[in-house]
Amino acid sequence: MLAEAVLRVSNLVKHYGEVRAVDGISFVVPAVTVFTLLGPNGAGKTTTLEILEGIREPDGGEIEAFGARLRRVDRAAKERMGVLLQEGNFEPYLKVKEIVALFASFFSHALPVSEILDRVALSEKANAMVKTLSGGQKQRLAVGVALVNDPDLVFLDEPTTGLDPQARRNMWSIVSDLKKQGKTLILTTHYMEEAEALADRVCIMDHGRIIAEGTTRELTEQLGQETMIEFRGDGLAPESWTELQMCCEAARSDGETITLETVDLPRTMESLFAWSRKQDIPLHQFAVRQPNLEDVFLALTGRRLRE
Amino acid sequence: MNDVLLLAKTHVVTALRERVTLFWFLIFPVFLLTILTLIFGRLGEEGEISFEISLINRDSSSATAGDFSAMIAEVFTKMGSPHIEGQKPLFSVHVPQADDDLDTFLEREEHALRRGHRAAIVVIPEGFHDAALHAVMNPSGIAQPATLRVYMSRNDVASEMATEIITHVLAEVDREILVRTGHFDPGKAIARETVWAGQDTGEIRYVDFLLPGVVLMGFFTNGLFGVPGAILFNRDRKVLRRYWVTPLSVSRYLAGFALGHLSLCVLQLVLLLLLGRFAFGATVEFAQLDAVLILILAAVTFMAFGFLIASLARTANAGMAIANILNMPMMFLSGMFFPISGLPTFLLAVVYVNPVSYLVEGLRASLGVQSSTFPSILLVIVPLGWIAASVAVAAGKLKWDVAR
Amino acid sequence: MNAFRALLTAELRILLRDRMTFFFTLLFPLIFILIFGFLMGNIGNVDRASLGVAFLADVDRALLEETIAEAGALEIVPFDSLESLEGAVAKGSVDFGTAWDGEVLRLIYDPNRVQENYAFQQVADGITNDFDLKRQGLSPPVHVEPIHVGLVAATSWFNRVVPGILAFSVLSAGLFAVSGHLTAMKERRILDRMIVTPMPPVGLLAAIAVVRLILVYVSTLITLATSVLLFDLAFDVNWFHYTVFVGCATLGTMGLGTIIALVVRRPSSAGNLANVLAMVMMFLAGIYFPVELMPAFLRILSKGLPLTHMADAMRYATGVMEMSGGQFWTTALAFLGTACVLFPILARYVVRPARQ
Repeated sequence: MLAEAVLRVSNLVKHYGEVRAVDGISFVVPAVTVFTLLGPNGAGKTTTLEILEGIREPDGGEIEAFGARLRRVDRAAKERMGVLLQEGNFEPYLKVKEIVALFASFFSHALPVSEILDRVALSEKANAMVKTLSGGQKQRLAVGVALVNDPDLVFLDEPTTGLDPQARRNMWSIVSDLKKQGKTLILTTHYMEEAEALADRVCIMDHGRIIAEGTTRELTEQLGQETMIEFRGDGLAPESWTELQMCCEAARSDGETITLETVDLPRTMESLFAWSRKQDIPLHQFAVRQPNLEDVFLALTGRRLRE
Repeated sequence: MNDVLLLAKTHVVTALRERVTLFWFLIFPVFLLTILTLIFGRLGEEGEISFEISLINRDSSSATAGDFSAMIAEVFTKMGSPHIEGQKPLFSVHVPQADDDLDTFLEREEHALRRGHRAAIVVIPEGFHDAALHAVMNPSGIAQPATLRVYMSRNDVASEMATEIITHVLAEVDREILVRTGHFDPGKAIARETVWAGQDTGEIRYVDFLLPGVVLMGFFTNGLFGVPGAILFNRDRKVLRRYWVTPLSVSRYLAGFALGHLSLCVLQLVLLLLLGRFAFGATVEFAQLDAVLILILAAVTFMAFGFLIASLARTANAGMAIANILNMPMMFLSGMFFPISGLPTFLLAVVYVNPVSYLVEGLRASLGVQSSTFPSILLVIVPLGWIAASVAVAAGKLKWDVAR
Repeated sequence: MNAFRALLTAELRILLRDRMTFFFTLLFPLIFILIFGFLMGNIGNVDRASLGVAFLADVDRALLEETIAEAGALEIVPFDSLESLEGAVAKGSVDFGTAWDGEVLRLIYDPNRVQENYAFQQVADGITNDFDLKRQGLSPPVHVEPIHVGLVAATSWFNRVVPGILAFSVLSAGLFAVSGHLTAMKERRILDRMIVTPMPPVGLLAAIAVVRLILVYVSTLITLATSVLLFDLAFDVNWFHYTVFVGCATLGTMGLGTIIALVVRRPSSAGNLANVLAMVMMFLAGIYFPVELMPAFLRILSKGLPLTHMADAMRYATGVMEMSGGQFWTTALAFLGTACVLFPILARYVVRPARQ
């Protein structure tokens, strides 16, 4: 178990022609952390991860993995990494146990196949061909393969995208188990709830840059000791609610929901109810909540995490 | 080492479990060997081919014994019954019924001929017996011979073959007549000898000629379709990407792939050899050093060629399309199945560039079923050159991961 | 009707953009014609064969030379010795050879030319028999006169092969039209978008069929023209029969392609199965070698294949073979009937929104 950083990234750059997919990012991943890159589609999360996984060549910057300075992630580093790709397939005509055995052979040290299958609850499917597996089962197999060498550092690229809620919860429990085993995890997601549930540290990315970094609490506290009030606002003309700006820190609408940020909850609520009576506007789906990462992102960029 | 072995095993197992690959790789060469041997290997063998012919004897003036018309008719009628019990006779002979009008019958038969239901119509014309008698009496050739008419269709192979057989039969009948009438002295007949040029082994059986070709065809399609198929589909579906995030290097992957591919070739070879030997009685002996070396050279050449195609195609479908377009010309313009003599220059150019041509000749020469027309050095140099060129291009151009 | 026309144009545009299908439908038969025209035209063609002749002793040459001259249009090449003759045959400078020393007539063949020797042996046997008789001052009392009563004056059997190749191109175009195209469209979700329009699925199929029909028809014409121009073949095409049959057969084989698409779910597998069936049929349908040469059980199998009947009908339509009118129309209507029966089924089962 390393006390120092498992991974250090400085000024990483990757461009495709004129487009700067990764525009000079730097971060440090401490040991035994769930480090999360949060951002909308196209933010550069996957590209960053692919560079760190060693399958994409960076155009600039430095990587230090397991204490070794690298221009590009090499085989020695890969021996200690496990990767769950965002998209990928297995040979459809291989059996589950054959897949795990195959990947195990790529590493100098690997766990027994049966143990891996147990960990991801696929022991019953050991002799089933990949083409007969469901989406969730294939994802579990992918996780198993990512863990076959008992890695110290695990990359999870959008691990729950496209999964049903039950499968998502399973994945979350796998992630927390992995952390309990002392592994370091780097995870990308565009789901705010996922980052909030799993992450120790969050890096918010947008357009190839890191726009905020810290724990979830640190990030939401950037917004001050605020409380958020929300209600359904579609169909309302801007003039009708802009006066609400007076009674709170900030008011904004994303077309569907109107959100008020306030540090004085009782006073804002009073003004809001008064406004509602005066304008005869019902407050549908009214909610009071703590600020979340979505709000942080919105505050920083003016856009939502999810389109 | 384990990774290379497991990758090889993956390649083999996947090919055998996927029904389509299994068909093209195993079943199709077997099918081809079987069909071609059954058809071409049996040319001239009795009891195997059968033609439908009709026979019309218009020479009604004869009734006496020693009647030539009747004799000819009997010869053909006899051919209508099989030599060996249970086998189909060479000719199935159709004759008019007792009360049929001969002209109508002939017309009907001509229609049947044009429709492909008859191979030939043998007509013994009026006055045949007289003409034949006259010719036999004056055998020095001053008299005109009697004419046996054979109605046939010139663009129909079956009809041509039947006509040839009939001509052959008549030649024997002629000889027999002349012997019986005391004109021909069999003691003074010429001795005939068949010489097979350039070979010590004599006539080569068709299956021995065909088997090396089918083996090479199997290697060829395996390399042409199997290699780009496996690599491109795995790359496009990001199966390969899962490998590249592990310490597995491209070269080890290639080693495993090559080992698997060559194992498949060995499997093909064994299967075809067993079939050829035990089902069709092939006698070619593949277990000779130079034959084995050429087989290895062929397998490697076609595998390299497959990599070349994979590197030239952007997508898996494009790769398969290229393979399909190249398949027929390369296979047929190589002397593998059909002789290449008499081809026009622009097609001969393809033959000379085609590595298959050299490998086919080399293999057949090493097995003693054909002497090669190319200089021996070329038989090795040209395939090696193709390997070098394919590897050079593929090393530069083959993309191992899809672009984002 | 406007919707249909729009669909037609869209379908045409898709097909033209799909260069692979385009080239395959046009290019493939042409490749076949080229290769087989040049290759198989050589087999069994002894018209311009070269015969090497060697006299090994001081014998009378005139008789043998006369016999050979009567045998047909052979090119005669003289040799001094048996060795030089054998060498020439082995190298291929002459097709076969004969050597006469006054007692033994040797016939020399190249064992490599396994497929051609049959024809050479026929010629050599004829010469030998005639020579044998002539030496004793005899001539054959009975002589065979072949009379050509076939339909076309052309001498090459390639005449029969070409309509077979046309039939094969129609078959593969029809089979792949459904299994490849429709299911590929399904994969690309184009089908889903089209289904939600008010156009009935049969309309979509009709659009696909019409465009395919035109493509296939044009490709057969190009193939036919190529064979005529390059190989100097003669055909007696009945354009009414030709057009009708190509139309019915294309539709019918599209219908057969339906069965494949129904049986096999994945589009790539359907395409592969169609490929396999087409290839197997090509060998068994008597296109490249006559059915008579096949063993009995294969002959029976051949009669059951659609391609066999397609080839026969095309031979009839191009004037190469005769056929009863009844048989031709039965075949054509059988294909049309297949299409009529299967298209509605196709419309219901295959033209469905893709899942996931």
